[in-house]
Amino acid sequence: MTEAPKKRGRLFYKFLFVFLIVSLVPLGIVGYYLVSLSQVTLNKAISRDQEALAVGFADTVSSYVINFRNVLFDAAHLQDFASMDAAKQQALINHIMQLHAPFLEISVMNASGAETVRVGRFVRDTKLRDFSNDALFNKVMKTGEFVGGLEKYMGSYPAITMGVQIVSLANNQGTGVLLAKMSLTGLSSILKTGFPEATHTQAAVIDSNGFLIAHSNLKEIYKPDAKMPEDVLKILLQNDAKTGGGEINLDTGEKVLGAFAEVSDLGWVVYIQRSISVAYQASNEMLSRTWRMMLIVTVFVLFLGYAVSLVITQPIQALREAAIKLGEGDFDYLPDLNMPNDEIGELAHTFMQMSESLKIKTVELMSAKEEQERLNRSLENRVEARTRELKSAQDELIKKERLAAIGQMASVVGHEIRNPLAVINNSIYFIKTKVNAAAAASTVPIEPKIVKHISIIESEIRQANGIIDEILGFARTRELNPKLTHLNSYIEDLTMSFPFPPHIELMKQLAPENPTVNIDTDEMTQAVRNLIKNGIEVMPERGRIYLRTESAGDMVRIDVEDTGPGIPKETLDKIFAPFFTTKARGTGLGLAVVKKIVDRHKGRVEVSSVLGKGTCFKLFIPLVTNNQNK
Amino acid sequence: MPAQKILVIDDDAHLRESLAEVLALEGFTCLEAGNAKAGIEAAKKHRPDVVIMDIQLPDSSGFQICQELRRYSKDFILIMMTGRFLSAEEKTQGFSLGADEYLTKPFDIQELCLRIRQLLSRKGK
Repeated sequence: MTEAPKKRGRLFYKFLFVFLIVSLVPLGIVGYYLVSLSQVTLNKAISRDQEALAVGFADTVSSYVINFRNVLFDAAHLQDFASMDAAKQQALINHIMQLHAPFLEISVMNASGAETVRVGRFVRDTKLRDFSNDALFNKVMKTGEFVGGLEKYMGSYPAITMGVQIVSLANNQGTGVLLAKMSLTGLSSILKTGFPEATHTQAAVIDSNGFLIAHSNLKEIYKPDAKMPEDVLKILLQNDAKTGGGEINLDTGEKVLGAFAEVSDLGWVVYIQRSISVAYQASNEMLSRTWRMMLIVTVFVLFLGYAVSLVITQPIQALREAAIKLGEGDFDYLPDLNMPNDEIGELAHTFMQMSESLKIKTVELMSAKEEQERLNRSLENRVEARTRELKSAQDELIKKERLAAIGQMASVVGHEIRNPLAVINNSIYFIKTKVNAAAAASTVPIEPKIVKHISIIESEIRQANGIIDEILGFARTRELNPKLTHLNSYIEDLTMSFPFPPHIELMKQLAPENPTVNIDTDEMTQAVRNLIKNGIEVMPERGRIYLRTESAGDMVRIDVEDTGPGIPKETLDKIFAPFFTTKARGTGLGLAVVKKIVDRHKGRVEVSSVLGKGTCFKLFIPLVTNNQNK
Repeated sequence: MPAQKILVIDDDAHLRESLAEVLALEGFTCLEAGNAKAGIEAAKKHRPDVVIMDIQLPDSSGFQICQELRRYSKDFILIMMTGRFLSAEEKTQGFSLGADEYLTKPFDIQELCLRIRQLLSRKGK
C-alpha cells in the first residue's frame, strides 16, 4: 500500500473553526470587559496617586515657607530683640542669614516705618529706607505678620517677602517689623529631587495668577514672567476645588495626566503633569500581558481544536480512504486505525461488514460475468464454426450449382451434337461402302487419300463422341446407387473388362482380407477406369500399372500407380479441377470426375508424384464394418 | 428370303434418311416416318421386322410408341435411339415396355447390323 498524502477534509476545518469560535469569542468578550474595567480602575488609582502626590508637595511647599516664617517669628519674638540696639540686631540677622541660605535680605523697622537695620546677601546698599507708606509694612503692623506675593528678585529669581511684628515682651506691644525677602529657588530644587525625569514628568508651583514659583525644570523659572502654558493654566484657574486631577489634551496634541493641590494659606497651586504613556505604564503593561495571555490561549485552543478535530476526523478519513479503496475494488484493505468504542467505531464496523458483503457479491458477480463471457465465447465459437460450415456449404452449393448449370448446358450441347454426329457417321459409312463397292467393280484402284480421309472422319467422330461422353458423365446428376461390394472381385472384374494395350503390364496387389465397400459400381468403375486410362496415356512405350487395395483404418484404399514421367509439383494441385488438362486433346474432366465420384462416396482422393518415376492416385473409400452390413 | 423391313422413326430428316440408306446398303428394306403417329400407322400397315425409334419425338415419346407397338404385336423388334445419356431407370423402363435394344447416337453401323441380325435370328426370322 502506498501512503497517499493525507488530506484534511472540510470536516476537519469546520471542527477547528467551531472550536475557535466556541472558546475564543466568550474569552475575548470577557477579557475585553475585564481589561477595560481594570484599566479604568487602575487609571483612576494612578490619577488619585498623582493627586495625593500633588497634595504632599503642597504640604512640603507650605511647610517650607512656614519654616522660614517661623525663623523670623522666633527672632522677632526673642525676649530682648526689641530692646537690642541696632548693632546687636544686625549681628543676629547676619547669623540667621548665614544659617538660612534662602534669605536674601532682612530689614528691621521701627513702629513708624523707618528702617533701622538692613542686611542684604547680594546688595551692598546700606541706605536705610522709609517703609511708613509700604503696604506690606502696614499689613504686618495691623495683622502681626504677612506673606507677600511673588516677586522676581533681581529680575529672575522667584522670591517672596514676609514680615513679622517685633513684639516687646514687657508690654506685649508691637515695636517694629522684621521684614525678610526670601528666595524660592529651593522649592524648585525640591521639585527636581521629587521629579528628576524632565521629559515625561513635570511638577510646578504657581501663584494664583499663574506665574511660576517653582518648577522641576529650573530653566523654566528664570524666564521673565515665567508662566504655566495657557492650556493647563486655564483648567487650573477655572477649578475651584482644592485638589483634583485628570487627563488633559495639550495644545501640542500630547495627552497628559495632570493633578493639582492648593497650598494652604499661600493661594499657590502645586501642579504635577505626567505624559499618559508613562502614567499609565502599569495599565498598558497589564493590557499587553492580557493580550499575550489571549494569544497563548488562542494557540492553546488552536492546538486543542486541532487535536480534537484530528481525533474525530481521522477515523472518518480512514473510513473514507477505505471506501475509496473499496470503490477501486480493493476489498482486503482494512482502515489503519484503532476504531474507538463509539458511533464512529460502529460506523467502521458497519463499513467492514458492508465491505465483506460487497466482496462476496462482487466475487459472485465476477464469476457470473466470467461464466457469461465463457458462454459468449463458446457461443461465438459455435457461431463462427457454424458460419464457416454454412459458408463452405454455400461455396459447395455454388460450386454444385455452377457444375449443375455446366452439366445442363453440356447435356443439351452434347445431345444436340450427337444427332449431327450420327448423321455424319451414317453418311461416311454410306460413302465408304459405295467407294469400296465401286473399287471392287472397277480395275482402277481407289485413291489412297480418299480412304485415309474417310478413316480420319471416322476417328474424329469417335473422338467427338468420347468428349461428349466425358462431359455428360461429369455433368450427370443422377442419384448414387451404392451396393455392398467385395472389393477384390470388383477390381478383378474391372481389370478383366479393361482393354489393356500390350505394352502395359498390370500389377495387382489386392488386400487379403477382401474388404467390403458400399459403392455405386458404375461410377466407381468410371473413376478407376479414368485413372487407368490416364496412366496408359502417359506411358506410350512401356510401363506398368499397379493396382493395389489395402485397408487403412476405417477406410479402404485403392491405388492406381503408373511408371510414367510424373506430374510437376506446380500442376499437382490443379489436376482435379474441372476442364484442367495438359493434353493436346482432352476435356480436362477425367480427374474431376474421379474426384466427384470419390466425394460422392464420402471418400477422398490423394495424389503423389515423383518426376521420372511415376504417379500414384490413392482413392480412400469408407470401409463397411460388420455392424453396418445390411 | 425376302429382305427384312426396318422402320426408322425420327423427326431429324437427315438422320432418318442417312440411317435408312445405310441400312438399305446392308440389304434391309427401309421405311421412314417423321413422327410417332405416322410411325405407328406405318408399322401397323407394313408390319416391319424392326422398328428403330428416337426416344424424343415431337408428338410423343419413344416409350409410348414402344408400348403401343408391343401391345399390337409381339413380333416387332423394337430398338430405341437417343442422343441423351440414359439413366438406369430409363433403360429399365424402356425394357419393361418391350424395347429390345438401346442405341446411343452416334452408333457403329456394322455393330448395329450385327445386333439386328442377332435379334432377328433369335426370333426365328
